[in-house]
Amino acid sequence: MDANQLRGNLDTLILAALVDSPAHGYHVIGRIRDRSTGVFDLAEGTVYPALHRLEAAGHLRSRWEEIEGRRRKIYSVTPRGQRRLADDRTRWNTFSSVMTLAIGGETA
Amino acid sequence: MNVDDPRGGSSEPIEDYLDQLLLTLTGSPRNVRHTLAEVESHLRDSAEAARRDGLDEIAAERLAVERMGSSLGVRDDTRLGRLLPLARRRRIVLVTLFLGAVGGIAIGVAGAIAGVARIVGGDRAIASPFPSGSYSAADCRRWMHLYPKAPDCVTAMTIDHAADFLRNCAVAAFGGVLSALAFLWLRRRWHEREVAIALPSSFEDLAVAVLSALVVVATMAQAADSFLVTKGVGAWQWVSLAIAAAATCLFFAVRLVHRLGRPRLSWVG
Repeated sequence: MDANQLRGNLDTLILAALVDSPAHGYHVIGRIRDRSTGVFDLAEGTVYPALHRLEAAGHLRSRWEEIEGRRRKIYSVTPRGQRRLADDRTRWNTFSSVMTLAIGGETA
Repeated sequence: MNVDDPRGGSSEPIEDYLDQLLLTLTGSPRNVRHTLAEVESHLRDSAEAARRDGLDEIAAERLAVERMGSSLGVRDDTRLGRLLPLARRRRIVLVTLFLGAVGGIAIGVAGAIAGVARIVGGDRAIASPFPSGSYSAADCRRWMHLYPKAPDCVTAMTIDHAADFLRNCAVAAFGGVLSALAFLWLRRRWHEREVAIALPSSFEDLAVAVLSALVVVATMAQAADSFLVTKGVGAWQWVSLAIAAAATCLFFAVRLVHRLGRPRLSWVG
């Protein structure tokens, strides 16, 4: 998987990983890796600027919690973030369908 | 960096990574602390998972760091790029105020030394009269009017020059104090890491040390000239400035050496 292609969609991947239940950064990366069956194996450090950017934009909120003796920053998706994810999903589905048609591939 | 791992490399990869990350991160001190805590927690989780998979402690930490990627990746470059020019301007303002504060206060100290020299050696210790023929009768009348108890024009002129020098020193000291207050106030307002890293952390110390060393050389040359040419008349004006500049140079040079031996991120103070 091309790293740039992945980076361009990182915000959406993070929102999707968090929309069902809140999690800290380490879990977010694990969820992205698991959901992509190990294909999206990004440099873990790159997730933090994206998490902070989404938080600053109001798409995520965070709180500090002590879990298993360690302070962790837990992120959850705000209503604004849910709207953004819905928009991203629609855009991606449209893009994906049109791209598949355009290049003559097969839908998954 | 810790290098006591028998296989070579660091024995504390996570600690080293966090040290490196601290030097890279930008933003408010709170954001930096939170990001560090967040990343450390992540690395410890990752290392723990690797240990569960059978790696020893150092190998597990090393793998966690490797998976995290470069510390530069954790930094938000867009924000840094946007803030750096502003931060650099702010840092230059702070440096200027700092130099003004140190310079003004040092001149004030020189004025105090010159004041003592004047008490001990009289007005001629810190001021010299103009050469004869270089002032008019009107100048003489003005000086005699200002200092009516002076026995002659040359004495009145010397008193006036000595008073001028001390007054100028007092004004410089006042300016230095104002500059110091402005510096402290702005430093508190601009307490962002971007400002701290916009110039090397010991830049101010280096600038003050170099400038004051130049002042020492120039003023000592003037003092030597006074002692040799005018038999010490007015020499303490230069000697007092040289003493204050030398003390300033010494203080900041020592501080600079001390700080270079102990790298730190904060700036002046």
